[in-house]
Amino acid sequence: MNVLLAILLILAAISALGVVFSSKTIYSALSLVLTVALLAAVFLVLNAQFLFVVQLIVYAGAVMVLFVFIIALLDPAAEDRPRIFDLRLILGVLAVAGLCTAVFVAARNDVTYDTSCTTQAVTCMHGYTVGSLAATGDNTADPFHTFGFPENAVNRAGNVQTVANQIFHTYVLPFEITSLLLLVAAVGAVYLTRRVAVGPRRDPQAEERWRDDLVEGGE
Amino acid sequence: MLSQAMFPWLLLTAAFLFTLGALGVLIRRNPLVVFMCIELMLNAVNLALVGYSSYLNSEEGQVFAFMVIVVAAAEVVVGLGLLTRVFSIGRELDVDDLDEMKQ
Repeated sequence: MNVLLAILLILAAISALGVVFSSKTIYSALSLVLTVALLAAVFLVLNAQFLFVVQLIVYAGAVMVLFVFIIALLDPAAEDRPRIFDLRLILGVLAVAGLCTAVFVAARNDVTYDTSCTTQAVTCMHGYTVGSLAATGDNTADPFHTFGFPENAVNRAGNVQTVANQIFHTYVLPFEITSLLLLVAAVGAVYLTRRVAVGPRRDPQAEERWRDDLVEGGE
Repeated sequence: MLSQAMFPWLLLTAAFLFTLGALGVLIRRNPLVVFMCIELMLNAVNLALVGYSSYLNSEEGQVFAFMVIVVAAAEVVVGLGLLTRVFSIGRELDVDDLDEMKQ
């Protein structure tokens, strides 16, 4: 499984390079489709089946189709490649390398989350539900799972059921607020793309003059 | 479940995708590609969230990644609507030209 995960991550990184450095917009879009599909496969490997399906349907299915559709509609011209010794590009690559190194070193040294966060602290943070879960699970043996969740608690009832339980119980209010967000986005998109008069505003006097000129020219 | 050996590499990939997306936002001039790079950054964050969720045996990261996907979809709808509007009034698709807000 580790090998599969490594292959998927490397392929995702390579196709992400294609998104940024393709000169044609449609190649960027297709690279992004590949990246999104590979990340969906990573989610599947990581036991997040619900997000795997959502990622494929929403990103690869809806968002990327919208992107390709708009590219076909607008037909943007190919952009000239950034020069190799462009100062902005060099600074950007240095920033990419620096941040990646920092994150990797931090992750290797286990400072990306607070390992001193004990079961008791989790009980304070998450309330009695998680605390009682933690009380039933034996998580004292593994120092890397001191976050209060017993082994395989996430997948005990199946991932989709567990995530649904979280969404519709613990996070039901944020979930309902996202519906408001989607409504606002839909109304905004309809407002932005409604039919408008193209070009300068029509001047009735000028039109009359133009018609008079036409009549005179005909005589 | 995510093993301890693979977790730093997953975070490394997430950081790489995120900074690559930020780099693309900064150096590309086509607004469509800029939107795609923003999508790349959001996907990198989702990858990190799901990685942590798997590593720490907590499903809350997956719930939050779900919210991020919803926000990304809404953002794309509004952004592409804006771009078609900009194109329909006869403007060039170049982020360096779209600077009315600055003046």
